[in-house]
Amino acid sequence: MNSWKLKEIVVMSTLSVVFAVIYLAFLPIGKILVGFFGPIGYDLIFGIWFIVSIIAAYIIRKPGAAFLSETIAATVEVLLGNAVGPMLIVAGMIQGAGAESAFAITRYKKYTLATLMFAGVMAAVFSFAWGYFRSGYAALDSSYVIAMLVLRMVSGALISGVLGKYLSDALARTGVLSSFALGKEMRRRRAA
Amino acid sequence: MYLNDLNPSVKALTIAGLVFILAFLFDPITPFLYLIFVIGVTFLFGRFNKKHYLLYFSPFFIFAFGMLWTTLAFADAPSNPEQIIAVLWWEFPREDLFIAVSLSLRVLAFAVLSLLFIFTTDMVHFVLSLIQQLKLPPKLAYGVLAGYRFLPMLKTEFQQIRAAHRIRGVSQAKTIQGKVGQWKRLAIPLLAGAIRKAERTAVAMESKGFTGNRNRTYFHQFTVTKKDWLFPIFMFTALGLVILVSVKLGYFNIYDGEL
Repeated sequence: MNSWKLKEIVVMSTLSVVFAVIYLAFLPIGKILVGFFGPIGYDLIFGIWFIVSIIAAYIIRKPGAAFLSETIAATVEVLLGNAVGPMLIVAGMIQGAGAESAFAITRYKKYTLATLMFAGVMAAVFSFAWGYFRSGYAALDSSYVIAMLVLRMVSGALISGVLGKYLSDALARTGVLSSFALGKEMRRRRAA
Repeated sequence: MYLNDLNPSVKALTIAGLVFILAFLFDPITPFLYLIFVIGVTFLFGRFNKKHYLLYFSPFFIFAFGMLWTTLAFADAPSNPEQIIAVLWWEFPREDLFIAVSLSLRVLAFAVLSLLFIFTTDMVHFVLSLIQQLKLPPKLAYGVLAGYRFLPMLKTEFQQIRAAHRIRGVSQAKTIQGKVGQWKRLAIPLLAGAIRKAERTAVAMESKGFTGNRNRTYFHQFTVTKKDWLFPIFMFTALGLVILVSVKLGYFNIYDGEL
């Protein structure tokens, strides 16, 4: 934690708070999709629930950003009162750890689109493993379970990876990130 | 009242432990009995707005019902298909029905545990206790508290940006493409404003001498006393008794590593 500047911590927490609200807003959408397609409905949009870990890691670029931001977002969701319960914090930690693992594999050096999509996929894999035990997917048909996993991975890559990068880049262009890793990199690239 | 005065860290860890154990149980009796027990404890030993509690609790029933029918509809082939239970006009394999009921009751049991915590704990006290008892770095904890404070401000900001757009003649989008554009026009300024505010807050905190050092004083001191240990002992003993009842009735079913 000592390598973190206070500024980075507060910005990360603020992003987590904003996305906690967005996460909550997507829960009823997920429920409607579940109504149409069964449990697989959640997997269509599951990527939205990893997005803050990808955005925070991409902007701040420090070990722990993905894990901490997702954990804080999940905790805020629970404190705001949601229909999932306190286990959501554990789910958030696991999703964050999944995204974090992708950044750790690239040694926190590469922040390309491919890395961010990989982080989304890893978050999906981790969260699926958790959901498997917690929600009792073991009781479901195995081909259906595999379809859920594949769909969640695609959703993680596209929604959290691609959309997360798009949002962060748009933010960086406004100039508010000038003192953060992403803003600095953008300036370097522009100068070159 | 007792639950409100309990050390927040002890309360949080106890609930996490209980949830962890409940997640491995697949019988309908244990979550049902424990659900009733937790509601009883919350109302007897907690001080909170009862109406709000019901308001927060009711959506969980929809969620639990969703869990019930999806687990039934997408159930794996049962290992004892000859055991059938008829509910009204439908017939279900005994095994599938029990698991489905158990999973949906579990949703409710998790919900009441979470509500017990949320309704009897102050967020700021919880974070302060995390620093003092669970050694959370103060730098992170106070950073998070600062971020959490922005929550009500964000709502005002959101309305402001929308109003600013309206006043400049941005009309409500009708097409899907227009809606996406509108969403982007709202999201980017909202996030940019939040980041600016966060940065300013951090600078203000540091200029007033905040270093994030653990060696500091606290306005609210939290300690763990003997009284605090009563809560985990009480809650886990009750869960043990409930499991015992379920075993005696012959319903008990634990996760057996089946994939």
